[in-house]
Order: sequence, then structure tokens, then C-alpha cells
Amino acid sequence: MFKDKTIPDLAAASVSATGEAKPTPLEEEVVALFDQMQDKLLRYLLSTGVPVQDGEEIVQEVFLALFQHLQLGKSRRNLRAWVFQVAHNLSVKRYVATLRDRKHMVEPGAVPDEDAFVDRAPNPEDQLARNQSHARLQSVFRALPEQDRRCLSLRAEGLTYREIGQILDMSLGAVALSLGRSLARFARAEER
Amino acid sequence: MLSHNSHLSDQELLLAADGELPAARTGQVASHLAECWTCRVRKGEIEASIGDFVRAYRGDLDSMLPSPAGPRALLKAQLAEMTAERAAVPPDWRTQWLQGSNPRYAGAALFLAVLALLVYLRPTFESPRTFHVVPVSFPEPSLTPGVAAGVNRDQICHSMPPKNRIVPASLQRRVFEEYGISGAEPRAYEVDYLITPALGGADDIRNLWPQSYSSAVWNARVKDALEDRLHDLVCDGRLDLATAQRDISSDWIAAYKKYFETDQPLQ
Repeated sequence: MFKDKTIPDLAAASVSATGEAKPTPLEEEVVALFDQMQDKLLRYLLSTGVPVQDGEEIVQEVFLALFQHLQLGKSRRNLRAWVFQVAHNLSVKRYVATLRDRKHMVEPGAVPDEDAFVDRAPNPEDQLARNQSHARLQSVFRALPEQDRRCLSLRAEGLTYREIGQILDMSLGAVALSLGRSLARFARAEER
Repeated sequence: MLSHNSHLSDQELLLAADGELPAARTGQVASHLAECWTCRVRKGEIEASIGDFVRAYRGDLDSMLPSPAGPRALLKAQLAEMTAERAAVPPDWRTQWLQGSNPRYAGAALFLAVLALLVYLRPTFESPRTFHVVPVSFPEPSLTPGVAAGVNRDQICHSMPPKNRIVPASLQRRVFEEYGISGAEPRAYEVDYLITPALGGADDIRNLWPQSYSSAVWNARVKDALEDRLHDLVCDGRLDLATAQRDISSDWIAAYKKYFETDQPLQ
């Protein structure tokens, strides 16, 4: 093995990176928030068509950003909405980057418009087991405009209209209309 | 949508179901619902649609959620690293002053800031500030042993060769930090896969290293040529995948010399 040059302080950097220091209260707080929210965040990202691996990376970035945010003593007001907003922005940014740079395009199906809430069951038996109502709901969801899908998913993760409006940059009225419109489509599909 | 003038709209029923009605309207709606079977049934139908959606939503997505144990451990490690970094860096005077609660020091802070700016901008014969760029042509084996993703030859050869994915900024930063070049100019490096995804390499920090652009001879373009060569050899059946992965991860320059039968990169 050889290198152009021995890299200085490599051992020191490695040691510091793997140190077994006791977590600080702030680290513990961020990890506790991760425990509470990571599945909600990841589910939201997946529902918009983000692949699992990208979703996991975005979630990591979100909580690292949260840690820095809190380290700097910035606002602790409604961290739940803050976390979702950062995740949303990162996923949109990543989506735009993939469109801009086709050579780095992720696997087909990563594009939110085409893949949201898609049936990923790998084998036909699973698909057969799904009932017709479920399939209808899937097709209705897929046919919704992207913003309506995001609204529904965020509401399903327990966010309030105000929080959804903040994350998606919509008014309260627009959030209510979007949810109402989507649910009306589901109702029509089920002939309610 | 109003089914009758005296009835509540679907929009209001949804707002009521979600607890989003204005306080002044909440009582009126509750009273109306107590009296009106039609509206109560309609509200139940809306709730049923919500239930249908949530079941489908959770049913599909929950099965896709991976175990959080790995990401949780990674987050903890990264947070510890960031804390250690912050402890190692002297407090930023700007932050100190900005966070200082005593306004009596504001004038002194301003004076020092102006002084610092003048010192910084003073005419000097020193060379302009430069970043320290460590030329890295070869990954450090203890940090970047190379990790394969567990795919087989058929998957590699019979599908579109995967392009190198964008390495997230946070991961790139960790790679730089691991290599002790966090003070260097990141644009001087490409965070590269040791075992390329086209040969089954994994998206794993142990498979990533900072390859400097300043390496004149054994640079990224040379390694790209080796990756293409190995991919062709594997897919032509002249080399098994495991050997290709092992050779490129243990000493890619030696592998280049071996597979191109040359001591210097071909132009």
C-alpha cells in the first residue's frame, strides 16, 4: 500500500471520531426526537416517491441540521414542523438536482410524480391478496396532484393544518381545500 | 359542498373532524351535529374516507420502513463527532459577542470588529490565503477498506450500469474529517467510491474516500478507466466479480498496472 503523502493527524481524527464520550444532553435530546419522529418523516418521504435509501439519508441530514440549529441556540418553537419542513426542502432539492444532473439520476421510480404511493409488492400473490378497495385508493392517490398528496401524507402523520401550511408554503384555507378535495375523491371511489 | 342550505358543508365537517374550526364556530357546529342526523352521517362518511386512506397509507409504507437501529447509531456517532469538533474549536468571537447579554460591551465589540477588519485588510506582502490541499491518490485502508453491496454478476452486467450517486454533503464532510483534511478546500477533492457501484460497490462511508484533483498522474480519470476495464472483464466472463472487487479495493493503482499491463497510466 502506498500513498502520495502521509496524511497528518489521521490517527487523531480517527480517535476523535470514534471516541466513547458520554452523550451531551443536547445529543440525547436530538436522538430522542429522532426516535419519536424518524418513522413519520421517512414514511412521508416515501409517500412522495423518495427511494428508501435517499429517505434515510435525508432523515440523517435533517437531524444533523436540527442539532446544529439547537447548538446555535436558535428557536425551539414547534420543532416538529421545523423537522418536516427541512425534510421537505431537502427532498425537493434532491429531486431538482436529479432532474438537473441526469448523469446522477437515481433509479427509475425515484421521481415523486410517477412513483408516489406506488404498489411495490414484489410478488403477484401479495398483489392478489390486496383487496379492490385498497387498489382503488392507490390509484386515486396516484392521480392526485403532488401538492394534494403531500398535504394528505402530512396530515396522516399528525400535522395540523397550520403546520402543513408552513411546510408546504400554503395558506390554511388552501390546506383545508386540498384535504377536502382529496377526501371527496376517495369517497367517490368508494361510492360514498 | 352543501347538500341543503341548513346543513353543514363537507369542508366544515372536515374541519370539525380535524379540530380545526375557529373557536367561535366550534360550538355552533357541535350543536348542529347533535340535532342533524344527515350531517352526522355525512361526518361519519368523511371519517370513513380518512380511515380508508390511513389504512392504505400505513399498510403500504410501514412495510417499507427499515429498522431504525442502524441510522440511529450513525446519528449518535455523528452527533458525538460534531460535539467533539465544536469543543476542539475555540469559541467564535462573533458568536460570543452576539450572544453576549451585556450591551455595555457593544461599543467595545464594534471597535474590535473594525480593528480586526483593518488588520485583516491591511496591505501585506504575504501570499493570499490558500487552502492546504493534501494530494490523495490512495485511500487509507483502515478508513476505506471498500465495501461491496452484495450484488451478483448478472445484476451488474444485465442492467444499466449504475452511475455514481451524489454523495450527500454531510457524508462528504465526514469523509474529509476522517481523512484529517477538514481544513482543506473541499472543491479540490472528489469524494469517490473505492469499489464503484458499477462493480457492486456500496453506498457506505467505508467505501468512500477523498480523491484529490491535484494528483497529476494517478487521478480520478485513470481510476475511471480501470473501473470500465474491470466491468468489461467481469461481464465478458474473463474475471470473477469478487477478484475485481478485491483488486480495486486493495490497491487500485497496482490493479491498473496489472489489468492494463503498464507501469504508467495510458493516455
